Amino acid sequence: MPARFEYAQAEEIRDSFSRHQVRYLFIGKAGAILLGYPDTTQDADLFVEKGEANGRALVLGLAELGFDLTPDQEAEIVRGKDFVQLKNGPFDLDLVFAPDGIERFEDAWRRRVEVEGFPVCHIDDIIASKAATGRVKDRESLPRLRAFRDYWVERHG
Amino acid sequence: MLGLPKGNEVAPSDSTTTADRPVSQRELRDWVAEFEAAARRPLRTRVRYAFIRTYKPVLDDAAYRSFDTTAEYRRWCEDSLPTWLGYAREV
Repeated sequence: MPARFEYAQAEEIRDSFSRHQVRYLFIGKAGAILLGYPDTTQDADLFVEKGEANGRALVLGLAELGFDLTPDQEAEIVRGKDFVQLKNGPFDLDLVFAPDGIERFEDAWRRRVEVEGFPVCHIDDIIASKAATGRVKDRESLPRLRAFRDYWVERHG
Repeated sequence: MLGLPKGNEVAPSDSTTTADRPVSQRELRDWVAEFEAAARRPLRTRVRYAFIRTYKPVLDDAAYRSFDTTAEYRRWCEDSLPTWLGYAREV
C-alpha cells in the first residue's frame, strides 16, 4: 500500500507539472483542503485538461514523479479517458478529465485559485462537482463544505 | 459575520434545513471555529493532518484503472464497491 500523501509530494506534482507545462487543477476534497478546508482524505484528485499535447506532458510528469505506466496506459492517458485511477506510484492519484458538474476545463481554469503555487479549483466548482455526483459520501459532506464556502468567500472574495 | 450556507432558511428553532440535511446553529458555529483554527495553521501542517491512509477493499486492489466516461466509473463504483465505502448514489 502506498504511503499517505504528503505536502512534499504535492510540491513535486506542482514542480514537475510546471516543468512539463501540464494544465491541471486540484479538485475534490484535496482541492478544498489546499484552500483551507479542515477534513481528511486519502488521495489527491486532479482535474486535467483533455488534449493530446497536455496528455503527453502529463505522462512525462507522472513518470518523473515515479508512476510506473505501461505503454498502453500511457496511450490511454494521452488519449484522455474521462477517469484514470493510479495506484502504481509513490501515492494514489485520480486523474479526472471530465468531472461531474463542470462543463469545460477552461471555465474552471479561469476561476482557479493559486495557493502557494498550487492551481486549485474554485470552491464553487469543487462543490458543484461533489453535488453532481449524487454519491452518499459527497452528499454527507456538502453542508459543511457549503459552510466553508461562505467562510472562504467572505475572506477571499 | 458568517451566514448560513447559501440557500438555507433560518428555522424558528435553533436549526435550519439545507437541501442535504438540517444544520443547527450550534453545528455551524463549531464548523466556523474549525475553519478558523485551520486558517491559523500553515498549509504544510494542514496537509499533514488531512491526508490519511487506510485500505479500501476492491478500490485499492488494482494498480491502475481507467474508464472511458465518468458515468462508466460511477456505475463501476456502484456495482463493484462495498456500499459502506459511500461511493454509491444510494445506500
